[in-house]
Amino acid sequence: MITTRERHRNILDFALSSLGRRAGRNLSLLTMYCLLIFVLASLLFFVSALKREAARLLEDAPDLVVQRLVAGRQDLIPENYGAGIAAIRGVAHVEPRLWGYYFDSWNGANYTVIASDKPTVKDGIAAIGSGVARSRKIHAGELFPLRSPGTEPLLLEVGAIFPGTSDLMAADLIILTPSDFHTLFNFPQGKFTDLAVTVTNRKELPMVAAKIAALYADSRPILKSEIQRTYQSIFDWRGGMILLVLLSAVLSFIIFAWDRATGLSAEERKEIGILKSIGWDTSDVLLLKFWEGCAISLPAFLCGVIAAYCHVFFFSAPFFSPVLKGWSILYPQFQLVPVVDISQLLVLFFFTVVPYITATIIPNWRTATMDPDAAMRS
Amino acid sequence: MKNITTLCLTIALFWTTTLLAADKGASPVPATAKCAVCGMFVAKYPEWASTARFKDGTLSYYDGPKDMFNHYFNTTRYTPGKQQADIITLTVKDYYSLTPLDAKTAYYVIGSDVSGPMGQELVPFRTEKDARAFKMDHKGKRIIRFAEVTPLSIK
Repeated sequence: MITTRERHRNILDFALSSLGRRAGRNLSLLTMYCLLIFVLASLLFFVSALKREAARLLEDAPDLVVQRLVAGRQDLIPENYGAGIAAIRGVAHVEPRLWGYYFDSWNGANYTVIASDKPTVKDGIAAIGSGVARSRKIHAGELFPLRSPGTEPLLLEVGAIFPGTSDLMAADLIILTPSDFHTLFNFPQGKFTDLAVTVTNRKELPMVAAKIAALYADSRPILKSEIQRTYQSIFDWRGGMILLVLLSAVLSFIIFAWDRATGLSAEERKEIGILKSIGWDTSDVLLLKFWEGCAISLPAFLCGVIAAYCHVFFFSAPFFSPVLKGWSILYPQFQLVPVVDISQLLVLFFFTVVPYITATIIPNWRTATMDPDAAMRS
Repeated sequence: MKNITTLCLTIALFWTTTLLAADKGASPVPATAKCAVCGMFVAKYPEWASTARFKDGTLSYYDGPKDMFNHYFNTTRYTPGKQQADIITLTVKDYYSLTPLDAKTAYYVIGSDVSGPMGQELVPFRTEKDARAFKMDHKGKRIIRFAEVTPLSIK
């Protein structure tokens, strides 16, 4: 009497040898299957890793930013707006911020310029991101000129370079003092780019935003939660765009797999007929086909997922990054923090492996329930 | 699309203003502390955290003034062996500043559109002026003092 385990092992053994008899065909199927899983899993990993990175950066952002609009365009905000906003109940602090963009005609890159009072920068000494240092080929302690509307370019010394290891945002930064900022852009005194508002109780945020909008009709309060939502949807949208491009590949695989799985060749029918006539049960035949499906699907799924993991987290997704990361000239060089969401993998599994195995079993079940004689003759 | 782009670009700047946001998160509530009445984790709702200190030095945490009052009115039920008279101090948090405040001196707004983790709450304030402003903003029904709170008003 053979045990259930032995029965399964014997049938798996037979399934593997029968796959081996059509090695070329099954190998091509395995490769395509693997490629498909690789592409889909890469996309899943990459989009969720980018979303996590953005969310991590936004954690430290101010709860509320107030901009001023003139004729529907963002304009500089006068200092006295800050005092009015600070008087609103629940507002703990209002910080006027000076920042902007600098277009570097030398290499076509756009730098983000921020004024800061922190001791790392002094008048004439700036701190820059690793991307800026790379594109300008400058090192700490060297001087670099920036074009300003005045006759003389602004000469700045590099005080420090931010290590760009995991930062999506710091690559294109130039941080300098408020007075250098005013000189560089000929920025009007008493005006700021926007105001960062800190509200102690986050429950009160929507009310504070509504009060600001009522107090200054030309202001636009932006909540952190709105930005978080926008960021998430932008990455989702870009992920969806890639998926659309890949749709043709996915469809052709589905057609290929469907054809491979459903249309039984005369040879396969004959094989099932012979198995039945030498005493195999219908359940044995189905088990055989189930193990055949598993032997193709599971290795393909595993290989695809492992390759996608390496592609995204070790090599920073070279196939997708230009489309997904952004539109900047200075791509931040960073390594994504490897985290895998089990639920995403399960979804991928249930949308690829399970339909494939089901699709292989049904036509075989039809043949296996036929009379063995008819199956061999057909 | 233009607005989305502007929003996005704005964020590039946000991470610089981190200092204030960082010290706001400091909460004295231990991560494992559970509400003595409903059993929910209190550290998840720092803006509602309330406490009661007993004569023997023990401290009970609550995820809102409502549960604190529940414990105050039914002390023996939630902490067997202890009486209402054993409670020496009750603290709630001022809604606007989130600083601890003696529950007996606070002004509470009831019936507002701001709800806590346990639903309708008594929202505490340090000054009557703040309470009035909040009542106006958030459609509150009434401002009450500690002595006016009854088991019926926290149902």
